[in-house]
Amino acid sequence: MMRFTLAALLVLMPLLVSRPALATEFQNVLVTDVSKDQISIRSNYSGETLLLFGAIDTQPYGEADGVVVVLRGPAQDIILRKKNKQFGIWVNGPAYTFGDLPSFYAVASSRPIADLLPNARRAELGIGADVLKASNLDPKTPHPTPGESEAVAAFLRLKQQADLFAAQSDAVEIIHGKLFRAEINLPAGMPVGAYTTEFFAFQKGTLIGYQKGELPVDIVGAGHILHEAAYNMSLLYGIFGVAVAVFMGWAVAIIFRRR
Amino acid sequence: MLIYLPIAEMSANIMTLIGMGGLVGFMSGMFGVGGGFLMTPLLIFIGVPPAVAVASEANQIVASSVSGGLAYWQRRAIDIPMGLILMSGGLAGAYSGVQLFKLLRAMGQVDLLISLSYVVFLGVIGTLMLRESIQVIIAARKGSPVQARRPGQHSWILRLPFRMRFRRSKLYISVIPPLVIGYFVGVLSAIMGVGGGFIMVPAMIYILRMPTNVVIGTSLFQIIFVTASVTIFHAVENQTVDIVLAGLLMIGGVLGAQLGARLGQRLRGEQLRALLALIVLGVGVKLLLDLVNQPDELFSLTRMGVGG
Repeated sequence: MMRFTLAALLVLMPLLVSRPALATEFQNVLVTDVSKDQISIRSNYSGETLLLFGAIDTQPYGEADGVVVVLRGPAQDIILRKKNKQFGIWVNGPAYTFGDLPSFYAVASSRPIADLLPNARRAELGIGADVLKASNLDPKTPHPTPGESEAVAAFLRLKQQADLFAAQSDAVEIIHGKLFRAEINLPAGMPVGAYTTEFFAFQKGTLIGYQKGELPVDIVGAGHILHEAAYNMSLLYGIFGVAVAVFMGWAVAIIFRRR
Repeated sequence: MLIYLPIAEMSANIMTLIGMGGLVGFMSGMFGVGGGFLMTPLLIFIGVPPAVAVASEANQIVASSVSGGLAYWQRRAIDIPMGLILMSGGLAGAYSGVQLFKLLRAMGQVDLLISLSYVVFLGVIGTLMLRESIQVIIAARKGSPVQARRPGQHSWILRLPFRMRFRRSKLYISVIPPLVIGYFVGVLSAIMGVGGGFIMVPAMIYILRMPTNVVIGTSLFQIIFVTASVTIFHAVENQTVDIVLAGLLMIGGVLGAQLGARLGQRLRGEQLRALLALIVLGVGVKLLLDLVNQPDELFSLTRMGVGG
């Protein structure tokens, strides 16, 4: 089986590399908050809409004409596999490893992000899943093979289909250049872990405000206990599963024999 | 009503799961088969990762074989020494099967292993059952009684060394064949999430020559231990047992099985078997088509080290 780390990952790097430390003066411009300080996935969780909002201090630079909010899930190593036909059946063939990419990545903006600032700048700031695709076409990057380009496209497509990569260009409302509110839809099957929120305020394509926060996403309740147990106390978890089954089988046999 | 399955990491409708458990339980009660070989593919069809479907279904089968096995225990229709020997082979097989499963999972080929195993076994079993029941039906129409199938001689197998007396089966045979059969069924159980009764029962009758009155009880007896060990091995090695999923299937399964058993007694055996054979073949053909036809999506994502 073919397996290699994707050379084309280089083109995805803008998303991964730690961006140049944004000066604290930017951070003083934005005061931000999120409607929830943590996301709890209960057994009946079916997704929700997260509200992210804040105020812009117009003293240093004036009013903002563009705001972008990014919600980023914990990094994951993902294997992408492509099926090909062998001996008349479709089997998993080439595998591509996508290391250390965000498991979830949503961008909400007040305008289409491509209109807000140039691609190169967006790549620097890590704004937009489409930066990946766009920088893929960047002539300066080493040329990926056709298979790798296809794999990158498939990766993005599958992530978008699963609602794990999303971009909404009308999801941020700016009020008088001073206040803003953004909505990001969270899918039912969102990965758990430590999420980060990032807020960017722009004026004529120049960054004037930046703020960063954290948002833990956890399974809670019985599901949490079972999930933890399955991975951390596997043997006990397995024995528990068998015990439940034996009890259930025994109880049913007793109940129905009485009739 | 949706419920989050913590290991499958997906939401599913509670009523769908209980209903599926009920439907398969109903058929298994009616036909007297385990039903794992129908449930695992159904779970895969509704989007449960195949690896989770297999391991969780093994967990469910523990419940159904305990509830079925208790009746045979009370009727003393279990050959316990034979069951223990089959089980010893079965535990080794379950362990090997789970290791193979783990290996292929790391290579991204476990779904293929599961599908291919199903296509082969459902195809063979379905065809044999259909042929036999059609012969019986045709013979019954003509009014001539069917000759019970005379299996070939396997006596040299039974005369291998390490012979042991099995009093309830009235046999004095080598322990090697039951160990080998147990091992083989244990491997299948781990890979396919089945009890393996559909292989075990014919093997006991035609190869080991056990009397039919102890066959089903003994088969259920060893299935309890083999599926229990498959559950634990999968939980430890692959973390793929979803107890919430298994529990919901159990609820539907046990209720369905009771109803099915009652209805089954009123229907004609060979027609039931022909119907079951068609269902088995249908599931096998669907899985085969899924392998042969070009899938809509050629790509799939897997988290490294976890997921389906």
